[in-house]
Amino acid sequence: MTLVDLAEVRPCLEGAIPAMMATCAADGTPNVAYLSQVFYVDERHVALSFQFFNKTRKNLLAQPRSTVLVLHPQTARFYRLQLRYLRTEDSGPVFESMKAQLAGIASHSGMAHVFRLLGADIHEVCEIERVPCDMPTPLPQAPPRCNLLGALRRGSARLAACTTLDALLDATLQTLEQDLGVAHAMVLILDPLTERLYTVASRGYATSGVGSEIPLGDGVIGVAARERTPVRIMHMTSAYLYSRALRDSLAGEGSTAISTDIPYPGLPEPHSQLAVPLLSAGRVLGVLFVESPLDLQFSFEDEDLLVTLGGQLAAGIDLMQDSAEPCPDAPGTEHTAAPAKAPAGPPLQVRHYRSNDSVFVNNAYLIKGVAGAILWKLLQDGQRQGRHEFTNRELRLDRALRLPDVADNLEARLLLLQRRLAEQCPQLRIEKTGRGCFRFDTAGPVELDDIAG
Amino acid sequence: MEHPATPPQLSRDLLDMMARGVSVIVSACGHDLTPSVMRALGSQISASGDLVTVYLGRRPSAQLLRDVATSGRMAVVFSEPSSHRTVQLKTRRARLREARPEDAAVLQRYLLAMQQELDRIGFGPAFVSAMFAHPLDDVVAVEFTPDEAFDQTPGPRAGQALGGAVA
Repeated sequence: MTLVDLAEVRPCLEGAIPAMMATCAADGTPNVAYLSQVFYVDERHVALSFQFFNKTRKNLLAQPRSTVLVLHPQTARFYRLQLRYLRTEDSGPVFESMKAQLAGIASHSGMAHVFRLLGADIHEVCEIERVPCDMPTPLPQAPPRCNLLGALRRGSARLAACTTLDALLDATLQTLEQDLGVAHAMVLILDPLTERLYTVASRGYATSGVGSEIPLGDGVIGVAARERTPVRIMHMTSAYLYSRALRDSLAGEGSTAISTDIPYPGLPEPHSQLAVPLLSAGRVLGVLFVESPLDLQFSFEDEDLLVTLGGQLAAGIDLMQDSAEPCPDAPGTEHTAAPAKAPAGPPLQVRHYRSNDSVFVNNAYLIKGVAGAILWKLLQDGQRQGRHEFTNRELRLDRALRLPDVADNLEARLLLLQRRLAEQCPQLRIEKTGRGCFRFDTAGPVELDDIAG
Repeated sequence: MEHPATPPQLSRDLLDMMARGVSVIVSACGHDLTPSVMRALGSQISASGDLVTVYLGRRPSAQLLRDVATSGRMAVVFSEPSSHRTVQLKTRRARLREARPEDAAVLQRYLLAMQQELDRIGFGPAFVSAMFAHPLDDVVAVEFTPDEAFDQTPGPRAGQALGGAVA
């Protein structure tokens, strides 16, 4: 018997070909059944989809040993896995990842109405056998894909050279595009207070969608963040399409009955999606997300790469945050006079609603929340004190901005504001002048209107 | 050991499906209750469904064949990949025999049927040939009369006994 490790079997666990599971009743009667999913948990464990209360289930609960037959989708080689059933999980990272993946498998195979994940059965892998084969087959394995480790190295070098969050995000998206051929990607940052993820960078969409929000737990992105686990879908499924019906609850509030919903930029009909949580120091900072209009675009190898690159990105985001102290040569809190600019046209009408810190410019929604509060402070200080130079530290100390004491994500919020202004309101401009400091300029006169409601 | 008086009645529709050549997975069980399992290289079913033959490779199915020889017990699933229609047969009286020259034609017919069937779900003929590749002298035929049959098509009826067999 040829024994192998689970790494060799991972291509068989991608759901391309259903696995078969054999169990035994206590009286020695064998039973064999199809399995929708054999999910890789780690080198010693797999999770099998528990969808029906059937004979297999009855046998497993009485006698934990089973044998699973899988087929390699490229080489046509068979492998047998001797398993021992440990427990069933009906929530948590493994369950949620499997549930999302199963939704894709189910709709692809026309079984969306039948397949529902009741639980993730965790099994210990006791032994793996490469089934002997007398013939000169199996078929050759697919050649390794465009040197993934090399792509990761180039991405890692790019990220290591970055000194700003802006550059870090661009380097990440550039790596995905150039080295992995991923055409549609975005990075979202988690606001732990509102439990929403907001887009700070994207590539490959008609509109950038910077500032658009997704609630924690919603769609593949929200599930990846909530469960701190990668979520990968290889076939189109309506079950995980991000629903525009989940509109911002603030949009219809009181007098601000104008939509503050920035459209989510994602593909209307994604066939492959992969969301990876950005984890640093045990916290979820956000999500790195890629998608494609084609089936089967992201394999476990892409997932491994994105998790690794995401780890460096998350550490980088944390680093930018921690080291965001004013640079010594920065103008700091100097109050310089506004540069004289020729007033161009009528003044910009800026309205701020205190209830949710939403800001509208000439009646068009711009931004809300902490980023909205920051913009309002910058505009007020500019108008009252003629200030243009600001530091991250003074924003942190300003209680009116209601930043959380820890994990305030200030750098990400500033970047969001900077990008949103550049896209929607170029008359207002934020420019980094050094580490932990920036300049805020207005082109022309501005009229401020603060609304209590 | 109790035996049902008559083999389960399989519908003409199901018999046709099994005769056409669909996926066949065979499983047995060791005395220590360790299950053994392998995909069959082919199958044949009599018109009435009371004699079923499945073909297994000696080397890839070594443990499975030992278990069947020892216990006579076997579970066999027939499934049509394109429709998910699935039936499981169980027997306590499986018999092993050497493959005969005339079985080669059965195996060849089965391979062609599977190439056609699996092509419908995206697997090319070369892949299917590799799945079923075998030297004929390595093939063992297992014959049995089903004692029980169960509908295993995913859905609410899954697990239901067919034709009055005892579940």
